[in-house]
Amino acid sequence: MYLGRMRRGVVLLVTIAALFWAGVAMGGVMTVDYHAERWWFIADMFTGIHGLVGYHRQKQVYRQIEREVSMGAGASGEMAVDQWLKDKGIALVHPVDNVARAYAGIAGLLNLLCIFDATILALMGRFGEPPPPSPTAGRQP
Amino acid sequence: MIAMLFYNPMELHSGWMLWLLLPLLVGVAVVYKTVRAQEIRRLPLETLVLVGYMLGGLTALGAALWLVQQYWP
Repeated sequence: MYLGRMRRGVVLLVTIAALFWAGVAMGGVMTVDYHAERWWFIADMFTGIHGLVGYHRQKQVYRQIEREVSMGAGASGEMAVDQWLKDKGIALVHPVDNVARAYAGIAGLLNLLCIFDATILALMGRFGEPPPPSPTAGRQP
Repeated sequence: MIAMLFYNPMELHSGWMLWLLLPLLVGVAVVYKTVRAQEIRRLPLETLVLVGYMLGGLTALGAALWLVQQYWP
């Protein structure tokens, strides 16, 4: 809006949101996973509010795990968490995890591209839609 | 129903995996062309062309990797 490119902004908003939530729909609440998939989580966070909502939902699951599972130290604790997720039917396993995290993570990385582009355009002072290319452009006089 | 959709993972058949690449490519192409296109009216056409390029590139890459895997000594 600030750049005067409303239509482009709406297209980007809808496309990035659709990609992210398509990933979460495929992978469920554990798609945005701070504990198990740190790099994908960083990519997810670039979607902004969508990533934060995903993080909040995943955090609620981990709080529930802390309440219900008595975790020991080391591998047995991790196994207890995995078993709990499996019992609840929300464990994200191969091959769905790859697709779901790719959708959500790529949505975040595309948003980062848009943020970078918008920042550069604002710094260069380019507001509004660019003028249409002149039909004589590139021709020899 | 909607809440369950975003809570439990879907059961996807492994044969669908390649087809799920198509919506992802379309999403990437739409975002990239929305950022780069000079005229927004030309966005659908330019997006379609870019999807074609990406599909062609991925197909060629897949074929090359398959050949390497099959025939590399």
